Amino acid sequence: MKKSHFIVAVLFCMTILSGCVDRKVIDDVNIATGIGIDKSGNQFLGSIMIPVFKPDKSFGNFTFVSKGNVIRDLVSEMQKKASQPIVSGSLDIALFGEDVAREGLIKTLDVFLRDPSVGARVQLAVVDGKAVDIFKGRYGDRGNSQYLTQLLEHNMNQQNLPITNLHRFLANFYKRGQDPYLPMLKKSNHNLVTITGLALFKDEKVVDILHENKMFYFKLLVDNHILGVVKVKEAHGESTVKSIGLKKKMRLIRRDPYTFSIKIKLKGDLTEHQERMLKEGEIRKVEKQLAKQIARECKMLIEDFQRKGIDPVGFGHFAKSRTRSFDFKKWNTEYKNAKFKVSADVHLIGHGVVE
Amino acid sequence: MANLFKSIKHIINKKNIPTNQKDHQSSLVKREYSKDQTEDWEKELTKSKDYQKSYYFNQKSGKKFTLTYFSTLVEEKVMDNNAVPPLLEGEFYTIADVKKLLPIADVELSNSSNDIPEMLMKGFVMLTLEGEKEFAFISSPKQVVRSVSAPEIEFSVVGPKEAFVEAIDQNINMIRKRLPIKELIAEQFIVGKLSLTKVCVLYIKGITNKEIINTVKQRISDLEKDEIADSSYFTQIISDNGNSPFPQLLDTERPDRVTSSLAEGKVIILVDGSPHALIGPTSLTEFFNSFEDYFLNWILATFIRLIRLFSVIFSIMVTPLYVAVVTYHYQMIPKDLLITLVTSRRVVPFPPILEVLFLEVTIELLREAGARLPTKVGQTIGIVGGIVLGTASVEAGLTSNVLLILIALAALASFTTPVYQMSNTIRILRFPFLIMAEIWGLVGITIAFCFLLTHLLRLTSLGFPFMEPVFPLRVKDFKDALFRLPFKSQAKRPQFLRTKDSTRFSKEKANKKKDIDE
Repeated sequence: MKKSHFIVAVLFCMTILSGCVDRKVIDDVNIATGIGIDKSGNQFLGSIMIPVFKPDKSFGNFTFVSKGNVIRDLVSEMQKKASQPIVSGSLDIALFGEDVAREGLIKTLDVFLRDPSVGARVQLAVVDGKAVDIFKGRYGDRGNSQYLTQLLEHNMNQQNLPITNLHRFLANFYKRGQDPYLPMLKKSNHNLVTITGLALFKDEKVVDILHENKMFYFKLLVDNHILGVVKVKEAHGESTVKSIGLKKKMRLIRRDPYTFSIKIKLKGDLTEHQERMLKEGEIRKVEKQLAKQIARECKMLIEDFQRKGIDPVGFGHFAKSRTRSFDFKKWNTEYKNAKFKVSADVHLIGHGVVE
Repeated sequence: MANLFKSIKHIINKKNIPTNQKDHQSSLVKREYSKDQTEDWEKELTKSKDYQKSYYFNQKSGKKFTLTYFSTLVEEKVMDNNAVPPLLEGEFYTIADVKKLLPIADVELSNSSNDIPEMLMKGFVMLTLEGEKEFAFISSPKQVVRSVSAPEIEFSVVGPKEAFVEAIDQNINMIRKRLPIKELIAEQFIVGKLSLTKVCVLYIKGITNKEIINTVKQRISDLEKDEIADSSYFTQIISDNGNSPFPQLLDTERPDRVTSSLAEGKVIILVDGSPHALIGPTSLTEFFNSFEDYFLNWILATFIRLIRLFSVIFSIMVTPLYVAVVTYHYQMIPKDLLITLVTSRRVVPFPPILEVLFLEVTIELLREAGARLPTKVGQTIGIVGGIVLGTASVEAGLTSNVLLILIALAALASFTTPVYQMSNTIRILRFPFLIMAEIWGLVGITIAFCFLLTHLLRLTSLGFPFMEPVFPLRVKDFKDALFRLPFKSQAKRPQFLRTKDSTRFSKEKANKKKDIDE
């Protein structure tokens, strides 16, 4: 091909194909940052939160609400009310009312899964109450979506909340032998939202809610790293320990019945102790007490899951990965009979600068 | 008259002028003029105002003689002080006596009238003696040479402060002073049918690859052009791909840079009348190296080079990325930045591409206006244009202030490229990127980048790959490309030049620092 022909062909393609791309100029779209789905009678009540950028560079929030049977339907219903197209590429957070979550999330999530512009790191959460109500509050000065995502993210990274997002939720959901879990939010007043616990799923339905004060032990079991805080009570009084390092070893010891051993090695920092100064030996006592407490609480959690037939820690997946020709049909009954040995070792490497 | 034209045609017929002879004087082919032709050209020359023919007679011998010359080409002071007094007062009878009499070394005797026009044009004074067929040419050419001044384009804070001037002899002198070795060869060519420009090819024998020398020599002798005004003509005419926006020969005004290139095994082209030398073969990375890098510690120099590289990429990419992201990829914008972008964009009535083009063209206008105006007015234009136009267009709601910052930074970044020709190229390059960004967003930018990369990979400089050392990969040549490693690690010449002698100095000896009593 001659060079001139080539150039003409390229120019031709450029002119013809330039119309093929969907144009979304940043100030001509409504950028959805939060989506909420609730139940209203037999129908879904959808809400989409949009940041309003005021000329003085402060945020406002606006929420579109509509009813429908299918989620896409809700969105097209809202488009009828919006002056500019609502686009979902910058979605930060998706909230589900508890009633929706108890009936199953996957059919509502389907709309996100099919849209390539929705990121995998969208935060999901279950709401104690209505998701619309959360969107209608006014939190912080960076907009509601920033507040909500940062609330979840900093609790995941620096506190006791286990790490979740759309990607992890789906991975846990589609992985056989593990059930997903999501944080639970509650609107405490017009300006604040609190994390009240963890919604535990069986397949796609919420079956139980883990209280917020058990989350530390749960995070020990499911995450590889924890910076959370835990309380210890022993003879000298209460103290708080901040975890700064975690090493966890899970092993499958026997297969009939399935016996798992979980060894938790925690490095911590004593951040607060009531009453008086601690002596060398007494720190050992705190360590031992905390180790005992962790082993006990974790074992209680696991046994509780066993009773309810849910497996958020992923023992089924773990057993499968270590067993040739693993049979998931038998696993359901075998899980109920499985035995767990939890041992913990705590080492407090710092106890403040006062000494 | 017709005869005259014929003879001029004859002069400018290039085939009769062997161009690769070192000595121009002897290279001119003798042409036969008949008696009446001679008178013809004399008639023609008298039409010029600076043609002088004066009649004298010698006081002692009483001989009449004439002096013929072009007053604009001859140093008349030398004539009046050194030549005319002895001619008037001294004693001579034949033309041969003149040669002994005159205190001027370069006096040539001739009896061929064919030489006359050329010799006069070269700044000789013709002396004819009554009753003699022979005549003498007295050399007294006028030297109108600008004095050597500090480099303006490739300014450096530290290091030598001299730059080339327009006279080629002066330039070669500056190079020879820095390289006083017999291996430094300066071959001369005469180029241009009308301008008869002197062009010199310099290289160090025994270091530079023969292939490079032959390529350059061949391209220069094959060159067809009536006049050559500057060395930049050569960049365009003899470079491998004349249709590329990238310059493929490096031009410099610094004799020190030329010297170090010669030592690396490169070839230099000097053109009479141009204060810029051309260095070849060169590679893309070299255009982002300033010679000042060698005067600084290698850590600083490497840092500055990396800054320059970054600024080039930034300058080309930042506005296309802005267009692509704001038009198509709102997902990529961090949430904290969203409010800044949206609030500043909201008042702007144009789509992003028009907004960007408006500002880009404004910047180009400012630059062009600044370049065309005298220096002092130019500075005012820069300030007035930059501040007033920028702020006013934001206040008027024609552009967003985020974009204004980006454009200003991009313009600033494009000026960090030390070679002027390359910095022009970089400013032009962003326009195709902008159009592609507008059409297809980031995909368009990727496509444009692929085209650019393909073009660069295909480019050669005097037959040597332009993208070296990145492609073909020559890891050892990175020592003086994107980075500038210390001198002790520069013991070898660049691999890609395929020099005859690849060693610059002994690395072992260079690394040693002996104690005083060792």
